[in-house]
Amino acid sequence: MIEVTNVWKRFAAPVLRDVTLRVPGGCLYGLIGPGAAGKSVLLKCLAGLLRPERGTVQIFGETIGALDEVALQAVRNRIGMLFQNNALFDHLTVAENIAFPLRRRGLTDEAEIAARVADRLRAVSLPGFEERLPGGLSGGQKKRVGVARATVTRADVVLYDEPAAGLDPVTSQKIFDLLRREQQEAGATVVMVSSDIDRLLTVTDRVGMMLDGALIFEGTTAEAQGSLHPVVKQFVHGEVDGPL
Amino acid sequence: MATEDEGLPAQTGRAVLSLATDVGGVAVLAARLLRRMAPPRLDGPELWRNLHRMGVRSLPIVGVTALFTGGIMVIQAGVLIRRFGAEGLLGWGAGFATLREVGPILIALMFSGRVGANNTAELATMTVTEQIDALETLAIDPLAYLILPRVLAMITMLFVLTIYGDVLALMGAAFMGEALLGVSTATFWNGLLESIRVWDMATGLIKSALFGVVIALSSSHFGLSVSGGAPGVGRAVNASVVASATGIFICDYLATYVLQ
Repeated sequence: MIEVTNVWKRFAAPVLRDVTLRVPGGCLYGLIGPGAAGKSVLLKCLAGLLRPERGTVQIFGETIGALDEVALQAVRNRIGMLFQNNALFDHLTVAENIAFPLRRRGLTDEAEIAARVADRLRAVSLPGFEERLPGGLSGGQKKRVGVARATVTRADVVLYDEPAAGLDPVTSQKIFDLLRREQQEAGATVVMVSSDIDRLLTVTDRVGMMLDGALIFEGTTAEAQGSLHPVVKQFVHGEVDGPL
Repeated sequence: MATEDEGLPAQTGRAVLSLATDVGGVAVLAARLLRRMAPPRLDGPELWRNLHRMGVRSLPIVGVTALFTGGIMVIQAGVLIRRFGAEGLLGWGAGFATLREVGPILIALMFSGRVGANNTAELATMTVTEQIDALETLAIDPLAYLILPRVLAMITMLFVLTIYGDVLALMGAAFMGEALLGVSTATFWNGLLESIRVWDMATGLIKSALFGVVIALSSSHFGLSVSGGAPGVGRAVNASVVASATGIFICDYLATYVLQ
């Protein structure tokens, strides 16, 4: 479903170095690693927001970097994404933000749109927030509205960048459980970046770990938890002593 | 970023590169927007929203600026009008200067400060908070949905506001002419209408359209090319206002030379 092959990307310095990974269809893939490891950049390459200097990214069998604008938009219609900064549209209400992808995909039945918005808000424990503006929400509430928007279209591929950042532990676990449930019901392929390793590993099928722009580990969740690789072991178990 | 131990040639080279990057960026943005106009790929509701907030909400500030501009011109001309007893020339002088030069340029500078700076700040904030990226992942072309309506709204509304501002500036001049110099409004308007040609008015309006293009493109370019988080937004607004003002004066010089 998602294939990344020998991808290189640099800004001032290399941020992705020869990254190769494969995410099978219907898999919830966790991408972990310390800050500035290249996780968010890799997600943006998957969404076609950044183009690698070398290597290829394939989604649904299409090579993202080789698509023209129209073909890329067709691929993006099948992708949902939650951004690290939530990326809610400031001038739209919560309901309009969540409904935005539905309307842009041609849904015009206002009753159905309202019902789907209300359903998403209930799922993220924010019922009744329809008319609020993003500026009046807390960081955690914005995050949950972002999750609602990313999941409202039931996309085939969903990319989450820190879906639980800024949330309390209980809400955080609820969000991870919700995302797992959604993914299983829709059969979606999900790539999720999170610093909340303990909770992330309760929902993932496979895990990749990045360090300094390179993918240094790739395997099942159980393999990650039992890995003897010193960096992976230290990071997954949150040990103070180690190479990191 | 320039460092203290960098020599003059290096600093000059860096400044030239930065200028070339921005001028090139504006040109590329203009070309990409033009491509979206044939056939038109424009979000209608977004265009109406921008016409309202950029135009209607600018009426008070443009009105006040224009009225005082007209008054100031009469005060400045008052000394000569009195010395030579040339009351009949007040309408011509005020009209000629207002319609051809002062009106378009002052209204453009006010528009740049209010609308252009706001446009840069909004786009820059949307860029650093990944809202532009979010539009792209939702399969929406940010240039067609977000930028083109703003550019068209700015060009259109600056043109309309210039007409509105010219009228108010002349009314201010007529009022101050009577109040300060005792020149009747009839004398003022007669002097104006007898000597001002349609081309004088057209010259000012052509300039206002050019200024609108300059403000729209530079404010959008600096908003979209921002980097460095929240501090970057401030730098982008600053750069946009400076670039717009500089562009307005350069355009004014060239347009005055060509259209005279």
